[in-house]
Amino acid sequence: MKTKNTSMIKLKFILNGKEIELETLPNKRLIDLLRNDLNLTGTKEGCSIGECGACTVIMNGKAVNSCLVLAGEINGSEIITIEGISNDGELHPLQENFLKYGAVQCGFCIPGMILSAYALLKKFPNPDEEQIKEAIAGNLCRCTGYKQIIEAIKNTKIS
Amino acid sequence: MISKFNYVAPNNLRSALKFLSDKKTNSKILAGGTDIIPGFHIESKRFIDTELLIDIKKIPGLNEIKEKKDYVEIGACVTFSQITESDIIKQYFPLLAKAAETVGSVQIRNRATVVGNFVNNAPCADSVPPLLVYNAKIEIQSLTKKRQIDLQKFLIKPYTTALKKNEIVTKIIIPKPDPDLKGDFYKLGRRRAVAISRISLAVLMKKKNDLIDEIRIASGAVTPIGTRLYDLERFAKGKQANSETYKELAIQMGRLVLEITGLRWSSEYKLPVLQQTFYQLLERINSDEN
Repeated sequence: MKTKNTSMIKLKFILNGKEIELETLPNKRLIDLLRNDLNLTGTKEGCSIGECGACTVIMNGKAVNSCLVLAGEINGSEIITIEGISNDGELHPLQENFLKYGAVQCGFCIPGMILSAYALLKKFPNPDEEQIKEAIAGNLCRCTGYKQIIEAIKNTKIS
Repeated sequence: MISKFNYVAPNNLRSALKFLSDKKTNSKILAGGTDIIPGFHIESKRFIDTELLIDIKKIPGLNEIKEKKDYVEIGACVTFSQITESDIIKQYFPLLAKAAETVGSVQIRNRATVVGNFVNNAPCADSVPPLLVYNAKIEIQSLTKKRQIDLQKFLIKPYTTALKKNEIVTKIIIPKPDPDLKGDFYKLGRRRAVAISRISLAVLMKKKNDLIDEIRIASGAVTPIGTRLYDLERFAKGKQANSETYKELAIQMGRLVLEITGLRWSSEYKLPVLQQTFYQLLERINSDEN
């Protein structure tokens, strides 16, 4: 293996509604940037290869795995993390319903699960059960089971 | 943290090709990144020595699906989500739309590109069998040359294609098929969602006076790479389009795949499943036509 010299890259993007400018290493993934540089630890790292969905965030309105996005790729884009959907400490209706329907147990998958649901509801405000299952197929939960999660999403109305 | 590399995102093709043609730098093109980035994470030998990633997503025009008179173009950065949502693709290439829906999860489909799927050329690449039965060509560009090649010829062996170091695949070109060709795509994974294909099949068939006038058959995952089964197509052509023929074709399919792959630990259960699913696919296409 060759010794590699890397140069920093400059990024400008919108994160949870705020414009951010920073310099970082090109070999950082979006999840590294969020958790280590920006202290947004709500986004979880599970499998690191795009299978579990724990690291799901919203990029330009679409659900993506932040372990499969490089820092450089977010330049000029808009990112929403779990920290960005509540309003001044007030929970988002999806978060309220996850609590109400008992959809949270250990909680590790929940930020990703909620953001996949958030992207779905922005696109289809009244999804049927099949659409909900499809939207969260890439988010693995290994404790609560999916029934309560689907109920919570089905009963959420967002504007 | 994944291993070190540099990253550039040129905003025009020429500049991307210039980076790529620098012989001193071990560079790779980055489109969706859903194979490359986890490849770095698991320290895959295929990616670990990369010194420069050239992100081509900022190059205008590469993320478009364009309908022309006799064909449709799919740009190098078109994602599987775009394919599943495109009315043009659904109208002319329903097998490709169906295969795209089975790829990964929403999150994967929002990033992963069709071109990246076959440039990576994994045996299980779901877009390959449909693209092969639609006779897809691809356009490849370097600083000095532009060339077109049939997808089947581009795919050489697992994880190897005819792409040279200084070249980029810029688009897929698919001729609009004869509307009398009816077909279907089938995928079997270990579970229903977010699964790697164990068997994938794409078939297009045209009947004339109850005979098989034309048939195109492509397999994925059961063969080392996605491939057209021309021998089987020749065998089928002109035969009666009925259950007897379909059973015969299914038996031949099993023989053919066994010849290609040799006897494996999985052959005993995989071949009967392959034969049965192929048979059912043919019957389904047959009944759709009537």
